[in-house]
Amino acid sequence: MDDIDAMFSDLLGEMDLLTQSLGQETVPPASVPGPTEEPNFSIGFTDLNESLNELEDNDLDALMADLVADLNATEERLAAQIEELQVPSPPPPHKSPTNIQHCAASPESLTSNNSGSNASTPSSSTTSPFPPPPPKSSKPTMEEIEAQVKADKIKLALEKLKEAKVKKLVVKVLMNDGSAKTLMVDERQTVREVLDNMFEKTHCDCNVDWSLCETNHELQLQRTFEDHENLVEPLLAWTRDSENKVLFQEIGEKYEVFKNPQNFYLWKKDKKTLKDFKDKDKEILIQENFCGTSIIVPDLEGVLHLKEDGKKSWKQRLFQLRASGIYYVSKGKTKSSRDLVCFVQFDNVNVYYGKDFKNKYKAPTDFCFVFKHPQIQKESQYIKYLCCDDAWSMNLWVTGIRIAKYGASLYEDYKTAEKKAAMSSKWTNRCMPSSSNTSTPSPTIKAKSPGQANGHAPKPQPEPFSQDVGNLPPPPPPLDGVLPPPPPSLAAKLSARNSFSKRHLLNKFPPPPSAIDNNLPPPPPPPPVDDTEEPPQFLPPPPPVAGFASLPPPPPVAGFASLPPPPPVAGIGSLPPPPVMSTLPPPPPPMNSLPPLPASFRDMGQSLPPPPPAREVFQSPPPQTVFIGSGAPPPPPPPPPPPPCAATKVVAPRSALYTPGSLKKTPPAPPKRSTPSLHGGGGGGGGGDGGGGDFMSELMLAMQKKRSDH
Amino acid sequence: MAAWDLSIILEDLGPDTPPITLSVSSDLHVGGVIIKLVEKTQMKRDWSDYALWWEQKQQWLLRTAWTLEKYGIHADARLLFIPQHKPLKLGLPSGMTLKVWASFSSPVFQAVMTICRILNIRHPEELSLLRPLEEKKKKKDKDKVGEIYDLTGVRPAKGTQPVSLYNDVPAHFADSAEMEAIYKMLSVTQTQPAPEIITKQYRPSSVVDKAHINGRWLDSSRCLRQQGVQENDLLWLRFKYYSFCDIEPKYDAVRLTQLYEQARWAILLEDIDCTEEEMMLFGALQYHIGKVSQSEPERMSTNAAMENLESALQSLEVKMEGGSSSASDMLDTMMAPELSDYLKIFRPKKLTLKGYKQYWFKFQDTSISYFKSKEESVGEPIQQINLKGGEVAPDVNVASQKFLIRLLIPSPEGMNEVYLRCENEQQYAHWMAGCLLASKGKSLADSSFQSEIQSIRSFLAVQKTNSGSSSHTLASDESMNTHSLVSPRYHKKYKPKQLTPRILEAYQNISQLSMTDAMMRFLQTWQALPDFGISYVVVRFKGSRKDEVLGIASNRLIRIDLGVGDVVKTWRYNNMKQWNVNWDIRQVAIEFEGNVNVAFSCVTADCKIVHEFIGGYIFMSTRSREKSGTLNEELFHKLTGGHEAL
Repeated sequence: MDDIDAMFSDLLGEMDLLTQSLGQETVPPASVPGPTEEPNFSIGFTDLNESLNELEDNDLDALMADLVADLNATEERLAAQIEELQVPSPPPPHKSPTNIQHCAASPESLTSNNSGSNASTPSSSTTSPFPPPPPKSSKPTMEEIEAQVKADKIKLALEKLKEAKVKKLVVKVLMNDGSAKTLMVDERQTVREVLDNMFEKTHCDCNVDWSLCETNHELQLQRTFEDHENLVEPLLAWTRDSENKVLFQEIGEKYEVFKNPQNFYLWKKDKKTLKDFKDKDKEILIQENFCGTSIIVPDLEGVLHLKEDGKKSWKQRLFQLRASGIYYVSKGKTKSSRDLVCFVQFDNVNVYYGKDFKNKYKAPTDFCFVFKHPQIQKESQYIKYLCCDDAWSMNLWVTGIRIAKYGASLYEDYKTAEKKAAMSSKWTNRCMPSSSNTSTPSPTIKAKSPGQANGHAPKPQPEPFSQDVGNLPPPPPPLDGVLPPPPPSLAAKLSARNSFSKRHLLNKFPPPPSAIDNNLPPPPPPPPVDDTEEPPQFLPPPPPVAGFASLPPPPPVAGFASLPPPPPVAGIGSLPPPPVMSTLPPPPPPMNSLPPLPASFRDMGQSLPPPPPAREVFQSPPPQTVFIGSGAPPPPPPPPPPPPCAATKVVAPRSALYTPGSLKKTPPAPPKRSTPSLHGGGGGGGGGDGGGGDFMSELMLAMQKKRSDH
Repeated sequence: MAAWDLSIILEDLGPDTPPITLSVSSDLHVGGVIIKLVEKTQMKRDWSDYALWWEQKQQWLLRTAWTLEKYGIHADARLLFIPQHKPLKLGLPSGMTLKVWASFSSPVFQAVMTICRILNIRHPEELSLLRPLEEKKKKKDKDKVGEIYDLTGVRPAKGTQPVSLYNDVPAHFADSAEMEAIYKMLSVTQTQPAPEIITKQYRPSSVVDKAHINGRWLDSSRCLRQQGVQENDLLWLRFKYYSFCDIEPKYDAVRLTQLYEQARWAILLEDIDCTEEEMMLFGALQYHIGKVSQSEPERMSTNAAMENLESALQSLEVKMEGGSSSASDMLDTMMAPELSDYLKIFRPKKLTLKGYKQYWFKFQDTSISYFKSKEESVGEPIQQINLKGGEVAPDVNVASQKFLIRLLIPSPEGMNEVYLRCENEQQYAHWMAGCLLASKGKSLADSSFQSEIQSIRSFLAVQKTNSGSSSHTLASDESMNTHSLVSPRYHKKYKPKQLTPRILEAYQNISQLSMTDAMMRFLQTWQALPDFGISYVVVRFKGSRKDEVLGIASNRLIRIDLGVGDVVKTWRYNNMKQWNVNWDIRQVAIEFEGNVNVAFSCVTADCKIVHEFIGGYIFMSTRSREKSGTLNEELFHKLTGGHEAL
């Protein structure tokens, strides 16, 4: 325990630094050190306390880190704002205080409204990630155009108000192996962004099949979220006591239509033709159906079983899929379009897979799908049930319906996912050589990599990389040489257990990459592995020292960043309410000198706006600019919820460059990824503790308790 | 070499004028003949467009260096000396008729290119000329001779570079105000036709009827005169290949408009089948496009510079909005219009409330709250209804003063039905607009609130005129008959007042589209129909004893059973190894991969037409690859020309 404590405080110090380099999103290195627990996660929490207690320590850590980062960001922003406001004229300053109140209040409302479900918990909606808009530039002009300034201020105030209203949820995402990850999702985030986040957290292979799914326990339904959807909205529809879940899984059907379009568009052809379909012809099919002026929906027609309203019987009808909806042929009528009866149009409903409907509804087969308004959570006459003869035709129909409903976005989603996957596989390929040098045994990686490579030959040259990336942030340039191995010393310290050394190594191994992984492929340890519930992995095995020695000095910190160690209680007090804001803290202490741990924690509160000092040191301007250009959130204040990829990038180069020298100091950016991963486990819902501060201390306490339990 | 007499008719001199006789020898080249002829006429004029036409062989003698011998011309040849360009009446998809100066001597493909150049339509390869229906022509001659817009004065600069626009109008139209007016007519959709006109038009009632239409395409590799087209004949200019490359509203004003018109008529005349729901959407889009095009013409005429500036400003605005929050947006939120009033509510599914009860309603964000009375509206509402994600349907009858908003509000348990009853049009328009926006998650502060109110009102106006006692003879802008928005089948099925709410329902989702977007939506919906883009021809497959239908689409051939109408088989072009036409027995033979051979003779169309369709689509598919804007005329000719190409 002592060891662990020491380690934590160490980490705390790191974290402090990290937080100071605000604005960067960090990629949480996969492994969280710290005492590990048995995976006894229970899913429905009743209140916040309980939920916190239930959390794994590392979850808590992650949460903390997120929160801290978040708070800091807010404070900083507020401070900046206040300063701004004060300089010019009084009117708006009022607003900012109010704003704070707002923040505090909003979580409550959130809680009461919705949530409560295990997965979604309202969390601190405190932070308004958005940078106040145009302040700096407008300042000079102020004198000249007063009106302008005023307008700006109003704008600003309004923005803050709006910001305060942004809903955030803490979402628990279940993995295949039964473990879970917790993250904070804000309502503007798309599923794509959340997936990217999950990639960071799990270091999975990032292939296009990874999906987030929602299950509805009561109705026995499951649906894969589309990448362009916002995640929060559907989750808000869950009822308070719902046992719905969010799953992180590989769903092969998700983009199957783009991998084998012939199976959908030429489904009538015989199997052999479909199997031998040439890549070139596939391309043509996609071109024809997805790249024209209009998206073409597969020409589907067939007999399906329809559950009659309110009855238990299923009736057969001839159904037809059209871009405008599903139709059926009514009795005694012809199949001609004008005689078709509209069964459902897709504007207001989603399509779900039904599970075990044979039992539940006496369906002829278990291959059922359902249409319902996303808000409907219980049995209702407004739910429409269809049943197919086999799994394949169900897949055909559901895919066809998705094409009809989402049209071009579906293809866009796929292209984005593919880009991501390609990048990550390249990344792994690049890393692999070096990693394999050191740690020969890395079985996991090897196993995975073929899959990842997926046809992409490993291309070692950096150039192709950036090209491929497109607007994605280029990978950290220096990577080649630099692959910084984990700092042996640190690792040693950290690793309480060696048990899982080799694998772990890999994980840590290319720490810089891990930071990047948002867009880059993280080294692929088995996804579930790094999960919270699997203790062994987190423990960084120190063993490889020999191997490492040869490697460049470790930029270890990157790895740790995400794991904010449970801060000493003392620190906590100072944390939450950052009164200090008014005094804009000067840039954080010089990196070199490691601030004493406890103190550092406190620092956080005070030295909010830490222009990351490190930055200048590493000249990593290119990535940054890229970042901005790529449509990431506005630069001024740290953009909290930016698309993770962009953010990550910035960080990456940094840590890479940093390698030489003081390992510890290099703060891999603060752990606030776009969605700070809060763990709210769902329970919080009931609790609805107000402001971030409360929540924070709650968290701290919980962590403390956990630790003492050990 | 021996000299012999060659007589040449000069049509310009009048039909009775005797032919001019020249003494020639067989080694004289055609150019020489023409010089002799011109000298002999002793007329001073510009003969440059004139050429010799060999009547018996139906052939132009355009190669002036060829000798008479090489052409095989003897004394018995009946030669005419006539101009190559003549006026032609051109029916456009929009129903407008133009008179244009067209080449009667170059292949139709080139003639169409020139015509499209005049009209400023890009991608002329997608269009061709169609002979109009005879029966209709007779009728037309009798009852109405629509106005013919004379464009014979227009000769665009030759060349292949894009037509330069001047104030959004091609330079060759900018000469006079009249010309500009004509151009605007080309690029703006026509007002909705009266329902009677739709009913009167010829409607193909079966696949065979549709197949017959395709027998009337002109051969694109031969010239007009060779195909019996005379001066001042009427031909239709239509999009023939349903593969529309790169539609860019900015440059394609005429093309887009005409394409929309063609699609619209295809829907109205049931040339392509659709479901009732789809028809309502098409109706709503037409209504919307019609309405917007009447209010937008001003915009079309603003000069280009202004427009550029405007669009630049707009895009700037968009940028500043930065996605989620624009300042103006937020200001709006602060100054959101308030909406509160006494309305009556009814919940059909709940037994507790009998009939309509009156409450004080208040709109907030995307929710409606209601209170016992205005006075109590400060406190807690009796209930709050969040409309976001819900469905909103109108139930309105102006004549009986019924203004009902039907709401379907989602909740975890299912959908709740709620009816709101408004007192009058004014109230209805506001609340309906609010509900519509709220269901899409927008608040009243949204900039579209006012326009939404406007469109609801104008739609009510339609109903008013329709349901009024006066017959719907007036086709003025505001009083449009909903029957003119749907195919005649629905005229019988629904009365206008039944149709209005249904179209209005579909209209909700599209009422905020700009004219171009609405047209694009129309085209997309059209293209998404299962039967879109299939040209039918009745054929007889080799070895089969009955006629069948061959459907030709942009990517495949479809064999359709004539009796049942079922698809028997599809072949995709990318599996096609080769296709041949045996011109002697008029049979098309196609070989697909995997040793699949198909052969058929054509019944309702010449096999040249089928050949051209297939070759044409293959040509269309090559376009995207070679990006250059230039049209590969030679390749087109190779693919579609048949034996002429050899």
